[in-house]
Amino acid sequence: MVKVKICGLKRLEDIELVNKYKPDYIGFVFADSPRKVSHELASQMKENLDSSIQSVGVFVDADLNEILKLFDENVIDIAQLHGSESEDYIRKLKQKSKYQLKIINAIEMSDEKDLLEYDSSIADYLLLDSGKGSGKTFDWRLIRKDLKKEFFLAGGLNSKNIPQAIGEFNPYAVDLSSSLEINGYKDENKIKEVMEEINLTKGRYGEYGGQYISETLMNELLYLEEQYNHYMNDPEFTEELNTLLREYAGRPSLLYYAERMTEDLGGAKIYLKREDLNHTGAHKINNVLGQVLLAKKMGKTRVIAETGAGQHGVATATAAALLDMECEVYMGEVDTERQALNVYRMELLGAKVHPVKSGTKTLKDAVNDAFRDWIARVHDTNYVIGSTMGPHPFPMMVRDFQAVISQEARQQILEKEGKLPTAVLACVGGGSNAMGAFYNFIEDEDVKLIGCEAGGKGIDTPYNAAALTNGKIGIFHGMKSIFNQSNYGQIAPVYSISAGLDYPGVGPEHAYLRDSGRAEYVPITDEEAVGAFEYLSRMEGIIPAIESSHAVAHAMKIAPEMDKDDILIVCLSGRGDKDVKSIAEYRGVELNE
Amino acid sequence: MSRIANAFKDDCAFIGFLTAGDPTIEKTVEYILAMVEAGCDLVEIGIPFSDPMAEGVVIQDANVRALKHNTTTDDVFEIVREVRKKTDVPLVFLTYINPVFFYGYEEFFKKCGELGVDGIISPDLPYEEKGEIADIAAKNDVDVISLIAPTSKERIQKIARDATGFIYVVSSLGVTGMRSEIKTDLGAIISDIRDVTDLPLAVGFGINTPEQASEISKIADGVIVGSAIVKIIEEHGENATEALKDYVSSMKNACID
Repeated sequence: MVKVKICGLKRLEDIELVNKYKPDYIGFVFADSPRKVSHELASQMKENLDSSIQSVGVFVDADLNEILKLFDENVIDIAQLHGSESEDYIRKLKQKSKYQLKIINAIEMSDEKDLLEYDSSIADYLLLDSGKGSGKTFDWRLIRKDLKKEFFLAGGLNSKNIPQAIGEFNPYAVDLSSSLEINGYKDENKIKEVMEEINLTKGRYGEYGGQYISETLMNELLYLEEQYNHYMNDPEFTEELNTLLREYAGRPSLLYYAERMTEDLGGAKIYLKREDLNHTGAHKINNVLGQVLLAKKMGKTRVIAETGAGQHGVATATAAALLDMECEVYMGEVDTERQALNVYRMELLGAKVHPVKSGTKTLKDAVNDAFRDWIARVHDTNYVIGSTMGPHPFPMMVRDFQAVISQEARQQILEKEGKLPTAVLACVGGGSNAMGAFYNFIEDEDVKLIGCEAGGKGIDTPYNAAALTNGKIGIFHGMKSIFNQSNYGQIAPVYSISAGLDYPGVGPEHAYLRDSGRAEYVPITDEEAVGAFEYLSRMEGIIPAIESSHAVAHAMKIAPEMDKDDILIVCLSGRGDKDVKSIAEYRGVELNE
Repeated sequence: MSRIANAFKDDCAFIGFLTAGDPTIEKTVEYILAMVEAGCDLVEIGIPFSDPMAEGVVIQDANVRALKHNTTTDDVFEIVREVRKKTDVPLVFLTYINPVFFYGYEEFFKKCGELGVDGIISPDLPYEEKGEIADIAAKNDVDVISLIAPTSKERIQKIARDATGFIYVVSSLGVTGMRSEIKTDLGAIISDIRDVTDLPLAVGFGINTPEQASEISKIADGVIVGSAIVKIIEEHGENATEALKDYVSSMKNACID
C-alpha cells in the first residue's frame, strides 16, 4: 500500500492536522525555502507529533553534523537530501548514525537521468521530483518500470492526478506539499480530500475493502490494477469500450417516465432507468464488456465468472463470444437446477458451465470455486467478477464500469425535468447496479440514495439476505465488509426469492455509504417484491427482474407520501422473463411447459 | 529458543496438518499426539471455516465434517489445552481471517499466548493486510507465518524481510491437495528467500509421498503435509491412529534420509 508524506510543515497547527489525518511521514525543511523551519521549532513540532508518523528532515548540501545532531536529538527519523550529496556523503551519514538514520536521495528528473544507476545506492529510498520542490509534475514515463529502489513520487501531486500516479507507477510513497496549501499554509480540507483519495486508491472505503486474498493472487491483482489504470487513461481503449456499449449493448439506456404508475400512486413522479433493455437483458453487460475487453488487452485468453441466477454468467459468455475468449462459468448446483435455461444459454454462447457442489451450492460457493480456478491459472485467465465485491481493484473496477448508469441518468433527468431527482432507488445484492446508479449522484447531497435489500421471508426469520440490515462486519471473499454470519464468524446461508440477491454480503463501498449516512438501505420481502413484479407488469407493460422488483416495491411504498414535485429514479436493472416460472410457482400456478 | 525455532534446529522438519473437529474434538487431540509420537515436529491445526477458499476438495470436506457438529473456535482452543498437557511440540493455527476477526483479535491472541499456540497462518491475509494482526500477535508471542508463492517474485524481499517464525513456501499454483509432481522451480525461489532471511523455510501444497518429501528435504528446512493426512482421517474416521502413525513416520524418515 502506498505511503504518504506531507512536506513543509511550519506551524504547530500543522502538527494537529497531520495527527488527525495520519500520513506515514511528514517533512521539515531545513534548507532555504519559504517553508524553512528553525531547529527549535522543528523540535517542538516533533514533540507534539503522533508517534506513528515519522519525521523527515529536508536538506541541501548541509553539514553532516547538522543532520546528525537533529537525528540524535530525535527531531528527525529520516534525512532527505536535495543537493549534490555524493554516495560517499550518504555512506558517512549512515556510518556516523550507526546505520540507524534512513536516507532519501532526491533526484531531479530529466531525460538524461538513468535511474537504474541508483539501484545500487546505499540510500534507502529515492525521491523523484521535477526540481527542488518546484510543485510541478515531471514526465512520469521517465520512471523505469524495472527500478528496484523504492521511491517517493513528488512534484505537483493533487487529488486529481494521484490515482493515476499510484495506479500506474507504483511509488513507495507520494510526497505532497504545495497542493495542500492555501496562501502558503496547509489547509485542512485539502489534506482531508487528498487523504481520502489516497485511501480509495488503496481500495479502502473507510474501514471497508482491502485485499484479503491468497499471496498467489497478489501480484496478479496488483498487475490488474495497474493495467486497469493504464487502459482507463488510454483514449483508444475507452473509445473501443464506448463503441461496444453503444453499438452492441444498446446504450444509452432509456430513462422512461412511468406515467400510469405515477398517477396510480398519486405522489412523486417515477422514472425507470431501463437497464433491462440492454443486450442480454440486464445491467451486467456494462461491466463484462469492460472487464473482458481489459482481459483481452492484457493478453489473457480465458475468462472465468461466478453466477447466481445466471445473468452475469450469460453476460460474460456473451462478451467472451464477441471478443473470442475462452469462457468458463461457476454456478451453484442448486442454481443450475433452478435456472436450467440459463445454463443452456451459456453453453449456446460457447461457455463451459461448472455446477458447484460444495457448501450451500449457491452463489457464494460459486465465487469460492471461481477463485480456486483463478489461483491455479493466473497466467492466462482473468476472473470477471460480477459485482462490486471481492478484493481491490474489483469493487472499484465494477463500480466504474457500471457508473455509466448514473452518468446517463443524471444527464437525462436534467434534460427532461431541469432538476435532479429527490431519490435514486436500486436493489442491492453485491451491489453493482446500485453502485452504478448511485455513483454520479454521490456529490449531489440533496439526492437521496436508497438501496433495497432482499428481506426474503422477513428480517426476523433466518430466511433473508439483508446483509446491511442483519449482518456484521467481517472479512470474506477478499474484502472487509458486512456479511451475514453466525456466532463464530462462519458465513451464514442466506435466502431470497431472487437468485441475484442471494449473497451473504455486500460490496464494501455500500457498507461505507451506509456508515457515512450518504445512502440508506431497506429490506424488501419476497411478498413485496412479487407484488411489485406483478404491479409493474400490469401497470406499465414492463416485466421487471425479481431483483429490480425490490426497488420498484420500495418506490411503491414511498411515492404516495411524496409531493408531485418530487422525482424518483428507479434502476430497473434487468428484465423479468427469467423469473416468470418461479413467480408462477410462488403464486401456486402450474405451468405446462 | 522458541518452540518453532527448536523444531527446525536439527534435520529437516516434518509438519503435519489436520482440521480440528474432524472427526471429533477428542479424536483431534488423539491424532495430534499420535502424529507427534510418530515424529511430527510441528503441528498445524486448521480452524474449520464455512468457505475455505484456498483448499482443495479433501480439506474442504474435512471442514464440512467438522462444522457439521458445530466445532467452534473455543472447541479448538480446548484441543490446544488438552494437547499442551502432554507435549511441547510447536502448534500453529491455520485459519481464515474471519473467524479470528469475529472472535476479536485481542481476545484471540491473548488466548493463543496463554494456551501456548506458537503461530498463525492465514491464507487470506497477505503482506498488505498483515497489519490487522501483526502487533497484537507479537505482543502475545504468536508468530504470524508468511506465505510465499510461485507468483511472489519481487514481493519475496519485503515478505521475507518482515517474516517471523518460519516461512511457508507454497510449492504450486492452485489450492491445497495431493499432486503427483511439483513443477515449480523451488530451488530458485528458496535461494531468493535465503538472500533475505535466515528463517527456516518449509514447503507445502501437494506433497504426499516419501519420495517427494525426500526431494524437498534436500533444499528446504521443513516439509508440510495436509491433504494426505486429512485423507487418512477421512478414510479411517475414528480409527485412524495407527494409519496416521505409519504414514507420519514414513514421511519423517524420508525427510531425514
